[in-house]
Amino acid sequence: MTTLSPARAVASRALFPPFVTAGLLLFLVIIASLLYGAGPVSPSDAFMVLAGSGSEEARFVVSELRLPRTIIGLVTGLALGLAGALLQSMTRNPLAEPGLLGVSAGSGFAVALAILFGASTATLTSFVAQLGALAGCALVIAATRVQGLGNDPVRLILAGATLTGLLLALTSMLMLMDQRAADEIRFWITGSIAGKPLSMLQATLPSILVALVLTIIVARPLAAMALGEKAAVGLGHHPGRIRFLIVLTVALLVGSATALAGPLIFVGLVVPFIARAFAGPDIRKTLWLCVPVGPAVVLAADVVSRLIAAPAELSLGVVTALIGAPVLLAIVRAGRMPSL
Amino acid sequence: MSQLSNRLRSTLLHTLVAVAVGSAGLGKALADTRTVESAYGPVEISGQPERVVTLYEGALDAALAVDANAVGAVITRGGSDVADYIKSEAGDIAIVGAPAETNIEAVIAARPDLILAPPRINQQQVALLSRIAPVVASNVPMFQPDSWERETRLFAKAMGREAEAEKVIGQVKERISEVAQVVSAKIPAGQRDAALVRWMPQGPLVMAEGLFSASLLQAVGFELTDKDLVKEGRPHSEPLSLENLSSMDQSWVFLATLNEDGDKALDAARKSPAFARLNAVQNDQVIGVSGQLWTSATGPLAALAILDDIEAAVNNIQP
Repeated sequence: MTTLSPARAVASRALFPPFVTAGLLLFLVIIASLLYGAGPVSPSDAFMVLAGSGSEEARFVVSELRLPRTIIGLVTGLALGLAGALLQSMTRNPLAEPGLLGVSAGSGFAVALAILFGASTATLTSFVAQLGALAGCALVIAATRVQGLGNDPVRLILAGATLTGLLLALTSMLMLMDQRAADEIRFWITGSIAGKPLSMLQATLPSILVALVLTIIVARPLAAMALGEKAAVGLGHHPGRIRFLIVLTVALLVGSATALAGPLIFVGLVVPFIARAFAGPDIRKTLWLCVPVGPAVVLAADVVSRLIAAPAELSLGVVTALIGAPVLLAIVRAGRMPSL
Repeated sequence: MSQLSNRLRSTLLHTLVAVAVGSAGLGKALADTRTVESAYGPVEISGQPERVVTLYEGALDAALAVDANAVGAVITRGGSDVADYIKSEAGDIAIVGAPAETNIEAVIAARPDLILAPPRINQQQVALLSRIAPVVASNVPMFQPDSWERETRLFAKAMGREAEAEKVIGQVKERISEVAQVVSAKIPAGQRDAALVRWMPQGPLVMAEGLFSASLLQAVGFELTDKDLVKEGRPHSEPLSLENLSSMDQSWVFLATLNEDGDKALDAARKSPAFARLNAVQNDQVIGVSGQLWTSATGPLAALAILDDIEAAVNNIQP
């Protein structure tokens, strides 16, 4: 990575070394996620379990508490990372993040509505979250169509912030209507992957698989669209159709992630940011690199959330926000904001 | 001109009458004016207030326990009305806010002649409310085993019903020794260790040993522990990671949720593998209780209701 000449670096960065590095990091984070927790089971106890022995208590904690949340964290990070990269590439805006643009807030509002009408966080269908994400996506696209907005990254974010603010206000209103719902919503809205049953993963898995297939389908046309719409049409793609597919994919991904973990803000910003830094502007390489980076970021944040407030846990959403906010500022302040 | 003097005359007359009536009332009131020590200094109260607004669950409980006329109350935490255990006593009482926020207009509408407030109310609120009626905020330190007793006495003094308060406090003490006998008869010594846990959507919350219901559990013979998980300066409760739930595994687990009945709480908790494997669950020694009553309420009526819960649970034990 370090020896490439700057002029050609952007175009010809090899994908393999960063992918392997990120994969290795992800492996380490997964191990950390199984070893560390807020409870009395120490890393060495947990290691014994991984080695095939260990006390009954440690076995339970590792296999029934830490393993499920690790798997859910992997899937959530994968979904949010890919969704962020797709959305940013399509809107040609490095700040276009599902959490900032109101896609997550749309999903969150839909879930809050469902909770108010009697659903419980445990029985929640990912369908509701995906529907809300789709509505949020539609609003984002409408916003990018407003004259001039699509070309100005910061203004798009402002539009998204407005939408998010509105949806959060509506969610707060729901919380005021019913205290039982408020308790569930308040917990859910901050985002967490603790204590979620794997059955929730089963419910979201089909849509995530569909979204992954769609991602593979749109990756090439999306790369062509980066050259300009006319070039893409010249290469035989249909930008309108591709955009529709991307919106659908993002909605499926964000909806699934939100159903699993609640609306996690900033993950969709940080992950593609890191991936682009190593993969260069090619969306296909960025997407590939998001595969190990997304889960690694979410899991690392989750491990931090467990250790920072023991014997309790901090909400995962709080940690991702703490990590993500400085990255957002860094991107905006780096005067040469890359136009994608 | 003559109209004006007429009006002047009638005003004077009214004033005279008012002064005469007022001083008569004043004389009567002075006879039994008492000073009640509130969290924000002494408050002068005379007679038996007839319309009491309570901004605190413990105050509502105390007011109803001494048969005062409570005309306003706040909702219980996690509910939309007063707590279930006190609903029948409270009747159709006006709701004037939530524990942390008072609807001043609703207080005015209740036309109180006494306002009973929680220890944590702020000075500005007290200043504002004092313009409606005398405000007695509890000055009793919270989370002591006798907090409820001292609070009941304080509020009863404000309401001019101290004799009634002593009577109901006596009743509670009698019930404590009755239930303590049941506990010692039914549960062998050495198996009376217990934990009080609240089940929230995000997981368990361990309740402090000093909590009202926790101190009642101890008074009837249970050995309660929060395993020092509740930190200094957080006297009410402490959220727990699911990984730490096993540290609360005592012979008995009293499990509360805020807004559903105990059985539903138990069902929800059982779905969590970390909860299902507790020894207390395996041995069927988990008692589902109402969180409104057990983790939010205080006062003599709440004490009686909690003692009933304990007695019923212990009587249910199959020998």
